Formats: sequence, structure tokens, C-alpha cells
Amino acid sequence: MSEMWINMGPQHPMTHGLWNLRVRIDGETVLDVDPEMGYLHRGIEKISEDRHYNEVITLMDRTCYVAGLAWEHLYIIAAEKALRIQPPERADYLRMMCEEFQRIGSHLMWYAAFVQDIGLMSPFLYGMRDRDLVLDLFQSYTGARMTYEYMRVGGVRNDLPPGFTDQARKVLDWLVPRFKEYDQLCLGSDIFHKRCDHLGVLSASDCIRHGVTGPMLRSAGVKRDLRKNRPYSLYKEVDFDVAVADGADVTARYLVRMEEMRQSVRILRQVVDWLDAHPGPVMAETVPRWMGAPYAPVGREGYLLKRQYPKGVGFSSIEEPHGEAQAYVVNEGGEHPYRVKFRSPVFANLSAARTYLVGYHVADIPPIMGSVDVCVGECDR
Amino acid sequence: MQPADLERALAPKLGAGLIGVEPFEGMAGRVRFHREAALDLFRTVREDLGFAHLSMVGGIDWVTHREVFYVVWSDDANQYLVLSTDLPAEDAHVESASGVWPSANWHERETWEMVDVTFDHHPDLRHLLVPDGYVFHPLLRSFKLHEPEELEVKSRHV
Amino acid sequence: MSNVTLYSVSYLLSDTVLRAIGSVLPRPLSAWITNADLITGIAVLVFGALLLAASMLNTIVLIWWERKLLGRFMDRRGAMHVGYAGLLQNFADGFKLFRKTTVQPRDADSLGFYTGPTAYMVTSMILFGILPISSGWNSGVLPLSLLLALAVFSFAPLFIFVSAWSSNNKYSLMGGMRSAAQMIAYEVPLLLAVVAVVIVAGSFDLTTIVYEQQNYWFWGPLVVALVVFFAGMLAEMERIPFDLPEAEAELVEGWNTEYGGMLFAFFMLADYLRALVGSILVVLLFLGGWTLPTWVPAALTSFPLAGIVWFMVKTYIVFGVFVWIRASLPRVRTDQLLRVGWNRMIPLSLLSVFLAALLVTVKCLPVFGCVPSLGV
Repeated sequence: MSEMWINMGPQHPMTHGLWNLRVRIDGETVLDVDPEMGYLHRGIEKISEDRHYNEVITLMDRTCYVAGLAWEHLYIIAAEKALRIQPPERADYLRMMCEEFQRIGSHLMWYAAFVQDIGLMSPFLYGMRDRDLVLDLFQSYTGARMTYEYMRVGGVRNDLPPGFTDQARKVLDWLVPRFKEYDQLCLGSDIFHKRCDHLGVLSASDCIRHGVTGPMLRSAGVKRDLRKNRPYSLYKEVDFDVAVADGADVTARYLVRMEEMRQSVRILRQVVDWLDAHPGPVMAETVPRWMGAPYAPVGREGYLLKRQYPKGVGFSSIEEPHGEAQAYVVNEGGEHPYRVKFRSPVFANLSAARTYLVGYHVADIPPIMGSVDVCVGECDR
Repeated sequence: MQPADLERALAPKLGAGLIGVEPFEGMAGRVRFHREAALDLFRTVREDLGFAHLSMVGGIDWVTHREVFYVVWSDDANQYLVLSTDLPAEDAHVESASGVWPSANWHERETWEMVDVTFDHHPDLRHLLVPDGYVFHPLLRSFKLHEPEELEVKSRHV
Repeated sequence: MSNVTLYSVSYLLSDTVLRAIGSVLPRPLSAWITNADLITGIAVLVFGALLLAASMLNTIVLIWWERKLLGRFMDRRGAMHVGYAGLLQNFADGFKLFRKTTVQPRDADSLGFYTGPTAYMVTSMILFGILPISSGWNSGVLPLSLLLALAVFSFAPLFIFVSAWSSNNKYSLMGGMRSAAQMIAYEVPLLLAVVAVVIVAGSFDLTTIVYEQQNYWFWGPLVVALVVFFAGMLAEMERIPFDLPEAEAELVEGWNTEYGGMLFAFFMLADYLRALVGSILVVLLFLGGWTLPTWVPAALTSFPLAGIVWFMVKTYIVFGVFVWIRASLPRVRTDQLLRVGWNRMIPLSLLSVFLAALLVTVKCLPVFGCVPSLGV
């Protein structure tokens, strides 16, 4: 067969979203790739300019459809910095709990999609089954399974329902042995190693050159986790290890994500214990009622209160499940942010696609892209 | 690393190209520079100061002018740094950073199509998020979304 | 039950019906309608229809069986709503496919596009006619039925490649290439494993092979051949871990990407027919066919249609193993698959032939004892 371009996408089982990977192949060998993004571009940064600070949270859930709470957290930190608001301690713990549960949920979703990419059928269902438990927890205190709108500038919307912490502990107890099962199904299989070892190698220096972060960077042996390196929220209060692996290949990324889930469980146990022991307010008192009210004001009346905030720029960066996400919120004193800029880790991870795809086989593309964990929502924004 | 340290380190290399270094919450500082000095600044920041990781490039339309900012990160210093330059709105172009940080490639493509800032010597300045041939630049202030009042909202519950 | 065969049933049916019609018709017509040639002809047609119905029914039940098993392996229930435990789900799906428009891509080659799936389906159905299901259910004594079955079985890559190429889709073409490469690579070890069985049984006739297993089933002495045959069958059936031709992760649906509606149903049915045939061959060659070991109480083997029942039980268990493998293994890559095929499977199959020859020569195995009936 001579060389040809094939379009893997926009509707293709490999993409896990809506994007197009143009691949130039010779027989089964990949010669060149060119990702085409933008199929899911909704102009979230533009819409945010027309919205109140709390209304942007709604968009954050839609930015990344598997890690909505992490993106809410990202935006909230930046917005609070821009508006000079300090949340109460309990709210910070609640946010950490959200983010860690979201990390588990996102990684389980990744696991399910990834094993499907290498042809493992059953673990797909196992991953989805266990993710459902996490979603049930979300539902019990945010009321939603996907679009939570839980965090508010200055705190969180509501406290936990009674009995939540016990339920959370039950879920965590269920999850830990499941991770071992996942490992047995994947790492215990020779075919898995045949498929995934030394595949999609992206060395540490290449990662840094291309701005690749998150599990991909840690799989190259770089011990960089913003929760540890630059603790935001109250991550310095909890005890956990940064998951790293050597090899920089698909297997290493698998190991990193699995270890991250275990560490998340470890963090969650501490956070849940803390939440049990320390009741308190979940919303800062300095936040005007119309802004942090449990139910955001409906209609435009709420925004007629032309409260002036001091001008400022807020920058935040968090360790989102896919990598390092950043938000840059410019506050010009109005009721809307003047400009919101988000940095999506997936965006950067995908931009390096040529580096880690060229030279492998067509059949290797799904496992490699699966190990990148593509969430097109946050990439296109 | 404090803003004053940064200024001391950068001033000799850039001379008049450096406007100043402002403090910035959660970062080493905010380096303001003239676009002529862009490439020198990028190289100095990357090679001399060790900010090897470019996190994002973004543009802000201030109507009178446009601002382009670069967020970079150093693993050794464990610090972020933001570089920012102002460009005249009618002639918004700046040297591309993708020769120094390859990760700038896509971010600059996005900034180009969103806020209409041209990056000189960019290897591949194509549309990324909006379709090819799209003539608008959505993140300019002149690109208006619909006004909420213009929408006729008919609620079923009224 | 040995005197009741499929053909005798068809003949009886045709005979009864034609004579009944003849008894009410006026004289010259009744004589014509009850003449022996016509009865035989109709009986052959009935025979074919019965085979067809049985194969289709079996295939559909097989799909149900796979869905249920796969569901259980995945911690869910599988089809539940249509019919008892979802038994009729596949009929509903079939009707849905039947009603759908057949979409032909604009630049596809019509001849190949339609002939491919049809021929694939037809050759798979022929297979079902060749294989004996029990002492009564067979299409007569074919001295070389095993060879014929394998020959028809190996038509598939041709038709797959024709339909893949003519659908004018790059994914289809790649899937077709992979399919052809894979089937050709695994054809050789498969045949060599069969040769081992033939050496021990001393016949190419499947019925004889089954009766040669009266004393002991061949899977014991020929375990190497069984492993090779099983793996080869997995590859021929294009099931995980060897389902690269339709690896849906990278090739969308592989060689049947462009097929929808009834043509897709053809492929689907034919795939499962081939899966059924693969399981049947494993049962026939290694697991004693419709016979049961002698220590089994007579009550279990003497009820009507016992042969067919036990045969089907065995077949479905073997297919269950295929499903089990599908549920728990990842997919391999083409180059790995071919390397395993040429580098591992062929030496292994040669070893199995050697072992079989040894067995026949020595006529004794320490584990299984001396078997007097062995020998060509």
C-alpha cells in the first residue's frame, strides 16, 4: 500500500470525543499526524465575559464533562483571588473532597475508555460501574451527576447531607480492592504488556518542551504534582505521595493513574475524617448574600446591585485529573469578569501528538491516545 | 525569586526592551516588556532563568491596545512567571515563542484566531478551534454576543 | 434412535404430505404427485430447509448465549426485556436490521459490495450442512467431510477481502488486508492440528472420527493439537484477542464498516455461524462429538435426541470458553499476531503431528494406558 491520509475522527471510536486525528500512514506505520481540534469549541471564554462571576461556574461543568468539579475549583480559586475573597476552612476541605472524588471518577472513566481501546471488554463495565458509585455520592450532595454547580465564589453552595461521610467511607472501602482487580486484569495479562510496554514514549525533556503535564509528565519520572509542589486549597494539610513511574510509556501512564486513585482514596479518608470532626460555615461572610446565596438569583435583578470590587487579576493552577490546569481571571471592577483564560492540560498534551505517535502502528494509536486521556470538552473549551 | 531579582537579572540583557517587573499574587512576578525585545526575553527566561515550561499564551483585548501574556514555570525555582506585552490594536504582532518553547505553537494559533494577534515566524499559523476561513476574532470586545434583552423569552410557566 | 436420521424425517414428512394431497386429488394427478422421484426431490428440499432453519435458529440462540454470558462476565445481565430472559431480543434486532435501508457508498463497486456478504453467508451455511450433529443428523456419509468442511471454511478471507475492497473505504481495506493475512497465517497451524487428529483417528470422515473417540476423547492425548486448533479457530472466527480485522478501536468496524441493514446482518449471522462451526469442530475432533463416556449412566444417553442434546451442550460450553476469552483478554496487534502465528503456532502444530504419529506407532501412552483400538 502506498502512503495515504486517513481521518480518525470526528466520529471515530478512538477519539473519545469530537476531534479529528489526521494520520498519514504507510501500510500500518504512522508517518505523520495532525490533530484537528475545534469540533467542540463553545466559546466558553467569550461567554464568560458576559456572565456574572457565579454564572461562569455553570460553564465550568461543561468545560470538562468528566471533571466538572475540578474545573469549578480551578475557576473559583482564580475568581476569589481576583475578587479578594477568602473562603472558610470547611469550604476548602469540601472543595478538596470534590476534587479528589472527581479525580477518582475521571480516572475510572479513563480506565474504562482505555481498556476498551486495547480491546478489553469487561473492565470497561467494571470501571463504569465503580464510577457510578462516585457519581451517586456527587448526586447526594450536589444534586447532579455531571453538571454540579456546587462551588460558589466565597465557599460552596451547601453543606453535606447527614450520613454522607459514612456513605463516602463505604465507597472508598469498596474501591480499594477494585483497584487491585483492575491491575490483575491489565498488568496480569501478557497481551497487555505486549501492547503497552515501550509504546507512545514521551521522555521527560519532550514533555517539558511541549508543555505536557499531569500523569503523562509523572510517567516520565518527573515528580511534579501541583498539590505537592505548590499546594493550593489546603493540600498541605493532608498526607499523600506523588505517583510517579519510569518508562514514559503507556504502561507507566497506567501505573501513575492507578496509583493516583489510591492516593486520592488516602487523601479522601483524611478529608472525610476532618469534615466529620469540624462542622462550620461553608460560605464566607464577606460575600454579599446575592452572590453566594444557596440559590443564585434568577433573572437580571440580582445584578443590578452594582457592587464594585477592587480591580485585580487572579491566577490559579490546580492539578486537574488530566494535568495542570490554569485559569487567568481579569477583574476590571464590573460584575462580569473582563477576560477569562483557561489553560487546558489536554490541549497541551494533544499538541505534542506528533512526538508520541509517529513511528508506531495504526493499531497503537488507540492505546496511546487512550493513555493521554483526551477530554475534548476542556481542550476546545 | 522576587520581582526585584528578576528585574536585576533581566535588565542587562534587555535594556530598554524591559518596562518593569510587577508583583503578582502567586507568582514570581509579572514581566512587562516591549515587543521588540520579545525573543531576547524568551531566550533569557528560558535558558538563563530556567523557566523551561510554557503553560499558556493568552491575549486580552483592552480595546485601545491588546495584551499578550505568557505563563511560564520553572521546576527548580518552583515558581510561575507571567510575561506580558502590549501591542497596538491596529498592528498587533509579536515574535512567536514557539522557537523557544515548542508548546507555544498551539497556544499562539489559538490566540491568533481569537484576539487577532499575529505571531511572526510561527511555523504553522492556521486556525485551530474555529473553522478555516472564519473571518471573525471572537474574543475581541467588538465581537458582541447577543444582548440578553434582545432575546424574547417566552416562559411556559407564566 | 439411530435409525431416525434427518433425511428419513424429511422423507417421511414429504411422503406423508404428498400422499395426503394425493388422496384428495383426482386420479391422474394423484398418481403424479405421489411418484417416488417427486417425493425424494421434495424430501431433499425439506432436508435443506430444516438444515437452514436449524442453523439460523442455532446462530440466533448462540448470539443470545454470548450476550448473556458476556453480560455476566461484565457484572450485568445482558438482554432482559424481549421474551423470557431476552431470548427474543435477537429476533427483534434481526427485524430491525431487516427493515433498514441498505446504504451503498457512492463509489463502491456494486458487484463486490453485494456478492461479498452473500457469498460469505452462503459458504458459512454450507458448512452447517456438512457437519454431523448426531448419528442421525447428518447429510450422509462423506468420506472426506472434514476436508470439505475446512476447505469451505477457508473461503472466507476471499469474500471478506472482496467486500472490504469494494466498499471503497480505507478502514475497510485495511481490515480486509488484515483479515486475509490473519486467516492465511492461521490456516496452516489449523490444518496441521487437524492432521494430528486424522492420524490418530485414521479417517477424514467426521462421523468416523467421532466413533474413534468411543474409548477416550482426543483432547487428552492430543492436547497440543487442541491448543493450536483452538487458537487457530479464534483467529479464523476473528474474535478477541484476534479480532484485529474489525478492531473497533482503530478501524471503526474493520471490513464491514460500510455495511448496514441486511448486509450487515449477513455478516453478523455468518460470523456467528462460523463461530458455531468452530465450536462444533472442536467438539467433533476433540470432545467426542455426540457420544458420552461409558461411565455415564445409561439414562442420560438413551432418551430421544440425546445425541443432539449432548452435542449442543458441548458446543455451547466450548463457545462459552470463546466468550470467556473474549471477556477477559485484550486485543493483540497485527504484527504480534502474525509473529505468533508463524513462529509459535506452526512449530507447535508440527509438534502435535509428531506426537500423534508417535501415539499411533507406540499405541501406548503412560497416562491413558494402552488402547487396543488405535491404529490405522
